[in-house]
Amino acid sequence: MRRRGASTKVMAAGTAVEPMTAVSAEDIAAQEFARIVETHRPQIFRFLLSSLRDVDLAETLTQECFLKAHRNWSHFRGDSSAMTWLMRIAINLQKDYWRNRRIQFWRQTRINAVDLDEASEWLPNGERNAEQQMLAREQVAQVWQAVKGLSERQRTVFLLRYVEERELSEIASATGLSEGTVKAHLSRALGRVRTELRGSR
Amino acid sequence: MNWKQDRSGESPQMDLEPDLELAQALSHFKASMDAWSEAAYSRPRTAAKLAVRHSWRMVAVWSLGCLLAVGSLAGAGHEIYHRQQLAKLAAQKAAEQRAAAGRATAVQSGTQPSSAQSDKKAPAATTRKVSVGAQDSARSQDSARGQDEDLLATVDSDVSREVPAAMEPLAQLMNDNGTQ
Repeated sequence: MRRRGASTKVMAAGTAVEPMTAVSAEDIAAQEFARIVETHRPQIFRFLLSSLRDVDLAETLTQECFLKAHRNWSHFRGDSSAMTWLMRIAINLQKDYWRNRRIQFWRQTRINAVDLDEASEWLPNGERNAEQQMLAREQVAQVWQAVKGLSERQRTVFLLRYVEERELSEIASATGLSEGTVKAHLSRALGRVRTELRGSR
Repeated sequence: MNWKQDRSGESPQMDLEPDLELAQALSHFKASMDAWSEAAYSRPRTAAKLAVRHSWRMVAVWSLGCLLAVGSLAGAGHEIYHRQQLAKLAAQKAAEQRAAAGRATAVQSGTQPSSAQSDKKAPAATTRKVSVGAQDSARSQDSARGQDEDLLATVDSDVSREVPAAMEPLAQLMNDNGTQ
């Protein structure tokens, strides 16, 4: 939507000053895409990192996501936000990756995924004392443990909701599920996290 | 946070409202994920350098391997060629010796009938020439053999002079005892 508005504005300006050429339209599209990359790349990377727990793989898939987006940028109609569109591409790439892994399970593939303890080590240096930090670390480890046990779809929905803070409608649009299904998946995922947290007490 | 703000809009039966502990855990989880993602996103990239180093190592290993293979093949080829040359030389020598021996026997068997048939002059002259040549070669072989024998005799005498006899110390002791 935003994109369509921008191009008409440019077109209007173009007709006033000089006739708009194909090259300048391409330039503008490239600039617009560069801005989209700059804005959304860290979020896509974070989502893929939380899904895969593999920094190198997350980087590779982020690159692939934006490459795919760049190729199909002319087909993006702006029905959803650019972020939702990019998320959909990232989710599909991730699905493809897991499918390939399953098909090629007999091959010796390199796995760089960090273990849960290492992933739980990451905490911002807030104004917390050592005890609070330890408690926070423990909770993060428990959430990771619960996330590990979720199905692929549940995990995606859970991470989009509680890490990426997406609206339910956005999650539904990005995953291609109905809002009701998204809520059901979220409910199950939360139940699992709750069980994990209670189980540790 | 979004999910905290719009909690009220969701259906209550879905149990999507996190309690205090769950909300705290989820917020810690998000903070942890943010910190990790930020650190990983802004880390220095060394993949290109590593790839270059890796490729150099690969090139070095491959060139060394090729060098070794070529060297061993060349060595084997040279050895085979050398052996063939030696065998050829030996065969040539043997053939020459056989020819010389054949010539010598031919001369020995051919001299008697040539002296008897005095009317055939030309063949007799040629047989005489051959016999002279054979005699020369036989004489040179004899002299060489004699030289070899002389040399061996000298070496034997030198060696026998240098190496002490096995019983020499005992013999000396006996002499000493005898004088005492």
